Amino acid sequence: MRRRALILLAALPLPAHAAGVEDVMRGLAAVRESRAAFSETRSIPELESVLPSRGTLSWRAPDQVEKHTTEPVEERLTVAADTLTLDRRGARQVLNLDAAPEIRAMVEAIRGTLAGDLARLASFYDVRFSEPADGSWRLALFPRSARLAAAVQAIVITGRAAQITGVETQERGGITRMTIEARP
Amino acid sequence: MTRWLPLMLALGLLLGGLTIAVRTAPPGGDMADFLPRSDRAEARFLLAELQRGAATTLLLAGIEGAAPAELARLSRVVGDALRDSGRFAFVANGTQDVSEAEREQVFAYRYLLSPLTEPAIFTAPALRPKLEALLDGLGSSAAPLVRQFGFADPTGAFIAFARGLIGSSGVTLREGVWFAGGESAPRALLLARSRANGLDPEGQQAAADTIRAAFAAATPGAARLLLSGPGVFAAEAARAIREDVEMISVASALLVAALLLWRTRSPTMLALVGVPLAAGTLAGYLAVLLLFGAVHGAAFGFGMTMLGVAVDYPILLLTQRLGDEALGATARRIWPTLRLSALAAIIGMVAMLGAGFSGLQQLGVFAAAGLLASVIVTRYALPRLAQPFAIAARPLPVGFADMLRRLPRARGAALALLAVAALGLLAAGGPTLERDIAALSPVPEAPRRLDTELRAALGAPDVGTFVVLRGADAEAALQASERAARALAPLLADGRLGSLDHPARYLPSAATQRARQAMLPEDAALRQALEAARAGLPFRAAAFDPFLDGVARSRALPPLTPAALAPGSALAARIAPLLAADEGGWHALLLPAGLTDLAALRRALGGEDGALVIELRAELSSLLGSASLRAALAAGLGAALVLALLAAGLSSLRAGLHAALPIAGALLLTVASLTLLGERLNLFHLAACLLLAGIAIDYALFLRGLDAAAPGPAAAQTLAAVLTCMLTTLLTFGLLAFCTTPVLRSIGLTVALGVLFAFLLAAILAPRRTRTT
Repeated sequence: MRRRALILLAALPLPAHAAGVEDVMRGLAAVRESRAAFSETRSIPELESVLPSRGTLSWRAPDQVEKHTTEPVEERLTVAADTLTLDRRGARQVLNLDAAPEIRAMVEAIRGTLAGDLARLASFYDVRFSEPADGSWRLALFPRSARLAAAVQAIVITGRAAQITGVETQERGGITRMTIEARP
Repeated sequence: MTRWLPLMLALGLLLGGLTIAVRTAPPGGDMADFLPRSDRAEARFLLAELQRGAATTLLLAGIEGAAPAELARLSRVVGDALRDSGRFAFVANGTQDVSEAEREQVFAYRYLLSPLTEPAIFTAPALRPKLEALLDGLGSSAAPLVRQFGFADPTGAFIAFARGLIGSSGVTLREGVWFAGGESAPRALLLARSRANGLDPEGQQAAADTIRAAFAAATPGAARLLLSGPGVFAAEAARAIREDVEMISVASALLVAALLLWRTRSPTMLALVGVPLAAGTLAGYLAVLLLFGAVHGAAFGFGMTMLGVAVDYPILLLTQRLGDEALGATARRIWPTLRLSALAAIIGMVAMLGAGFSGLQQLGVFAAAGLLASVIVTRYALPRLAQPFAIAARPLPVGFADMLRRLPRARGAALALLAVAALGLLAAGGPTLERDIAALSPVPEAPRRLDTELRAALGAPDVGTFVVLRGADAEAALQASERAARALAPLLADGRLGSLDHPARYLPSAATQRARQAMLPEDAALRQALEAARAGLPFRAAAFDPFLDGVARSRALPPLTPAALAPGSALAARIAPLLAADEGGWHALLLPAGLTDLAALRRALGGEDGALVIELRAELSSLLGSASLRAALAAGLGAALVLALLAAGLSSLRAGLHAALPIAGALLLTVASLTLLGERLNLFHLAACLLLAGIAIDYALFLRGLDAAAPGPAAAQTLAAVLTCMLTTLLTFGLLAFCTTPVLRSIGLTVALGVLFAFLLAAILAPRRTRTT
């Protein structure tokens, strides 16, 4: 309840507000390369239990993201430019992002944030920025197109300074929570 | 002033009549008339497909010359404009391959359409590994995709069917639209199928114009639109011929006018030459209209060219007047020769009726009727019209006339040259014949190359071998293609066949769909199998309700038929080239790729009644060969008739042969020269040879009356008259040889070379030789 009130407060159109999102984006854009550890839990309505996984994330400007899952099954997901590659259990799948608009939008949510590219985020999502009082920031992304909204209902990215600390994705009644910890 | 009246009246009446005729029954443009006919079922099918098959309505477009993002924008704008225009049954540029509605339809029919459907896939032992794989997929990064269909279709039947539907092609998706693959400059690709059918050239033209207009309206800047497809080809061919013909007719009319003015110094000469020509054109047009019901544009165009011979008649009349002789007397004097030469030319044209093309037959009738009218007008009307004007040809420059008169001395050299040409042709194994039907296409080389490029990029390369299966209706054709695919399965398995495309792959027959429905389990049985399969897995009880619902609904669906597919859907577009109605019912096409054993394919299809295995290149080539043979036979028959006529007209076989020698010699030298120039002889060369024969007859007959030993003023005048005829023809056809259109070039080159040889040989060989001391 208290958290909600804070969001409401932060959503007020204060001039400092716009400066806030731009500051955060500038900070993120300055990071050319980073590595972090992640842990993720996925819960979907068709399953009785949640599906956990963990691994590392790396970013290299301008457009390369790698999600390397180490548990429970080794998997490497890389996105470079418009190509997504998934290596898992000895099989490789290559996908052109143009051929899958929903996947493209989900990729750009993360990649656009890492790149500090607000315009890119705004081309796919209605972006709401807030800064709770604890020094962190929060980007709530709501799909602009109905087609995308059918697949993803919302993506909430939280962070602190130039560092993303969490990604929460709501899709088709399921929710995936990822927490991220920077690595030196 | 009154002396002008009859001439102007006659010319006005003829041109008016021609205008009315062309206005009331305008020339048509069905190129089918110029395709050969055949008795072979394979060839008949092929020709019908060439004329109105699905392939004829296809338009291929490329957009290039800008950055990819700009090209993508243009492709989107053009694509949307085409979809909104209503002129196209199908437009694809990558933006909306499969609509939401179609995806839902195909998904609902997944168990009827998918080749995976079998009773076994619905049992617990088969479902268990599928559920385990689903669980694994849900834990992966691909979870969003896995969830999309995984619970409604754990068997994977839909994904298997959708993969087959997408197929493979050379396109890549960039910026959301199709681009040509490879390293070359970026080129966005767009594919459209017009609603107008292949027999409707105006409709095809309108469709192509719609694309061009949509592109222009999209503010393309520096970007260029490349457009190809049979419809564009037809328009391109018509445009190329029209441009060539316009250029040629203006240039040659000016040159011929200049020549005639120089020879006669009388502008009236031009109007007088126009009278038999206009009369011939009108007569030819009406004759073709009467016999064929319509006049083909190309027959009209080429027929006019053939009537070039008719220009000779007034020249021969008007320039052979002796002193103050009345023109009527001149006409009577030259009539026996003129009549014989015109009759021989007409018989040569009539021989074209034996060629197996309606187009060439029309051409023959047009030229024959036209020549007949021209020669009659020249004999009976022209002397009256021309009498008031004192037209006389100037004598040739003295030195030049002497040179011409000395030509008969070259008799030995000419005969030796003919022998060398004959031996050379024999040694070379005869003239090279054209075997590639593409070379006959009036379409210039560049657009043909573009078409090949776009086709390759869009994954629609020209097929080599294909199989046609017939059925009374679409269902029968689909069943036939399923049977044939089963018969060919062993070849696919051992690699003698790389892959096989056929319509039932995308839309199985209703019988197969019903058989698959019968394999679907009852609700309770499926529920039980699913319970057993998910034992110990963390799926909730209701997780697979969409699957249970889907199977239950599938059992009650009416089979999906071609008629039920939404026009413009991806499935309809996939099937359109492979399954179509024709006059005899329906046919299905099987397209084998990577075929290494044709005999095995024929054997495997032995059980399929009426299956036609068509080897495209071989079939077209044999079609062309048999058509050339027929045309050659017709020409041979024509030559025999001409010889008989000459012999009868000159009342001696010897005299006939003597008159025919320069004609045959001119044809021989022409064919030998064309071979030497590296030309492959085609049907148009042959048609040109017929025209040439007609012209050569004129020369030979008029010059044979000369006495080589006793040159007089009359002889000089005749020589000059024939020379004038030769020069007018040379000016007209010599220009044609510079055309870009292969057809016109063939005719121009043949006739230009031919008339030169015909004149020289006639001047050398034809004159009577009387011994003087």
